[in-house]
Amino acid sequence: MNIFKLVARKLGTLLVTVFAASLLVFFSRALVPGDPVAFLLRGRKPSPEAIAEVTKQFGLDKPMWQQYIDWLGNLFHGDLGRSLQFRQDVTTVLADRLPVTLGLVVLAGVLIAILGLAAGIIAALNRGRTADRAILIAMTGLGAIPSFVGAIVLIAVFAVQLGWFPSYGSGDGFADGIFHLILPSIALALTFVALVARVTRSSMLDQLEREHVEVATSRGLPRSRVVLRHVLRNATGPILTVSGVLVAGLLVASSIVEQAFGLAGIGSLLVQSVDRLDFPVVQAIVLLIVIIFVLVNTIVDLLAPLIDPRVAAGAAAR
Amino acid sequence: MSILKISDFSLELTTGSQACLLDAVSLSVEEGETVGLVGESGSGKSLTARAALGLLPGRTRISGSVVLDGTDVFSAGPSQVLALRRSTASMVFQDPRSGINPMRSIGDYLTESLILCNKWSKADASQRALELLRSVGLPRPEAHLAQFPHELSGGMLQRVMIAGALSTSPRLLICDEPTTSLDVTTQAEIIGVLTEQQAQHGMGMLFITHDLNLASALCDRIYVLNAGTVVEHGGVQEVFTNPQSAYTQQLVAATPSVFTRTVSVINPTRSAAALRPAPEPESARPAVMLEARSLSKTYYVKGNPPLVAVNNVTLAVPRGDALAVVGESGSGKSTLARMIVGLEQADAGDILVAGVSRAAHSRTRAERLDRARTVQIVFQDPYLSLDPRIIAGAAVEDALRLHNKLSHAQSRSQVLALFDQVGLGEKHANARPRTLSGGQRQRVAIARALAVGPEVLVLDEATSALDVSVQAQVLEVVQEIRRKRGLTLLFISHDLAVVRKVCETTMVMRRGDIVEHGQTKNLLENPQHPYTQLLLDSIPRPEWELDQPEVPLAPNTSSAQIIGA
Repeated sequence: MNIFKLVARKLGTLLVTVFAASLLVFFSRALVPGDPVAFLLRGRKPSPEAIAEVTKQFGLDKPMWQQYIDWLGNLFHGDLGRSLQFRQDVTTVLADRLPVTLGLVVLAGVLIAILGLAAGIIAALNRGRTADRAILIAMTGLGAIPSFVGAIVLIAVFAVQLGWFPSYGSGDGFADGIFHLILPSIALALTFVALVARVTRSSMLDQLEREHVEVATSRGLPRSRVVLRHVLRNATGPILTVSGVLVAGLLVASSIVEQAFGLAGIGSLLVQSVDRLDFPVVQAIVLLIVIIFVLVNTIVDLLAPLIDPRVAAGAAAR
Repeated sequence: MSILKISDFSLELTTGSQACLLDAVSLSVEEGETVGLVGESGSGKSLTARAALGLLPGRTRISGSVVLDGTDVFSAGPSQVLALRRSTASMVFQDPRSGINPMRSIGDYLTESLILCNKWSKADASQRALELLRSVGLPRPEAHLAQFPHELSGGMLQRVMIAGALSTSPRLLICDEPTTSLDVTTQAEIIGVLTEQQAQHGMGMLFITHDLNLASALCDRIYVLNAGTVVEHGGVQEVFTNPQSAYTQQLVAATPSVFTRTVSVINPTRSAAALRPAPEPESARPAVMLEARSLSKTYYVKGNPPLVAVNNVTLAVPRGDALAVVGESGSGKSTLARMIVGLEQADAGDILVAGVSRAAHSRTRAERLDRARTVQIVFQDPYLSLDPRIIAGAAVEDALRLHNKLSHAQSRSQVLALFDQVGLGEKHANARPRTLSGGQRQRVAIARALAVGPEVLVLDEATSALDVSVQAQVLEVVQEIRRKRGLTLLFISHDLAVVRKVCETTMVMRRGDIVEHGQTKNLLENPQHPYTQLLLDSIPRPEWELDQPEVPLAPNTSSAQIIGA
């Protein structure tokens, strides 16, 4: 019963957060300088009739709050409005580009999980030794590389010099698509690998010093078992929390990487749409990112009591 | 053949200071025998115990040998060491709360080494776990298997840890301060479980403790360790009643006892009368300095039943007297102290200090300062109560300057005077807490509390984190100050033996209620309430003292006398 209560409460918080975000996203448009109508009419000297018509066509003549309510109402019907720049439904525009970004983020996520955890675990288990120092230095270096620099270096070495990977475009079909995403996902993952590695290392070190680890050792458990059952398991909490926050960073950083590799994804679309004052698209993307972020963190929150029974007890008491 | 034989074992740090942590330690444990290893913190007792299982810190150089059941632990291969840990010896650690993985179930803890190391089936291992839980006296073994550590009390958890140590039927049980974090009544129960299991299985037991009373009650033979060296060893009665080395003599003398010792370990040249507070003329004693009237405090935690921490407590302490509040964890003694100091608001009742009501929350700065000038508190752990970034002298000076408009030179000289009163010097005033020992830190904390010249000093377990010899010194400082300043003392403690040394009157608390209240001497010698009796019975006493009648204190000695350390 408690777990249902917990899930229900989390979902409630999620809805409230998304609602607040939708308000913010929609009305932030009022703060942005520039008139979308001027963009729609592309600098031609428009007649007042043309302006009036375009304004009416996109519902820009109504007051802001009316526009918001219409927008929100349409959201529930799966209608995100019409893109000003493409003269298409926003849903269609997004649907074309979502798979690329999702593929990029998922691939990068897998890389981050594997490389970050491995580096962190190896460093923690060799604390103070050469392997630990080497990993620490490498991670500090990686963490300092902005993703666009990483992207340029990767293109220069692996696409131009060695010619192993394509440097541009999304590719055709599934396998080719993945192939085209390899370099971009590495560029995207680099910084975050460093972050996860550091958190893993410090969380593991914290656990390695705990007395229950010594107790397990004193009972004759092999080192590998001690590490798996008592150190790594207990260290997962902070790693998960950081991973949840990291998702937002991934989505945002993907716009830079997509731009660098000429990928037609959500990220590059966002940049382009902001540039062209295409508010319906911007609103849809930002809301999407907020929803994904909140959803991932809700999942992390729900996993926490499964990992640490004390969290479950605390939640039940609240 | 000895089950454990340590010969000339030395251990040195190879990094930095090249400190020698253990110097040619030799000891042996026979099967079925209980051997005590006593010493103060930093003496190397835990290192010695861990060495028996091949658990050593990194970057150390060792020499000598540790032979466990015929196998030299340090020349043995890794698989041999694992085998020794699995079947020959096991260890019970001090704090089960940190010694048992909080994220795994009790059942997992009890069965993991059976399943993973000894290849038992899951069902067999669970069966064995049930038997073990039953044998250590836990009430609902089946339910406990699925529970997590945070659902059990400290005492129950220590039973779980003992059960875990017994799961592979070891021939040597190493206990590293297994009862130090427990209440005295729980300690008595745990010791009962340990001795029962030892007798049943004929194990050898190496028992590490800082508590001489406990060691004397439990052990056959004893080794006294000081700064990495065995300074004395022998039969337990022999060592305690006729200690040969100066260190053991000092340790025995510093150990407070609830019961008067039949052997005179107290320095007889210091007469009790000379140390008693100077008698004041009757007229100079206003009746009551600190008073609490029907004080109550209840905590409401959502999802739990309301917790009555303090229930209708009334007390009165005459000026210059010392009242001890004794109780186990959860008795409400600390909540009472915090209410009196104003860190916690009482739900009902009144607190009067020097006749002025102090129950209301201080709203203004003046009120807060005014209140602070009347009551001050010293907390249990000086490692936490002093700011590590501020030098000791400045910590005291801050308190002074908060209350008085003083020039830098004036406050400085007052600080030095205060440090002098607690037996510290200028170099301590300029030191950061990190470089001071536990006893010195606690003296700094006392100096800080005294800085504003309070009339009432509350000591909340102020000496229970300290080694016995340091505790004796700090208690002496407290007594000295009391005599000089006519300070009124509220002494919160779980330790009846310390209370006997310090306080005229004692109040026993249990779950928020006062169960007994009276002259310390009468209360300890003739307890009326069954709970007080239980507390007293739980205190470990050496076997050779049990047969003899308790010797009452001579009528002319006050229980508040200080025993010279």
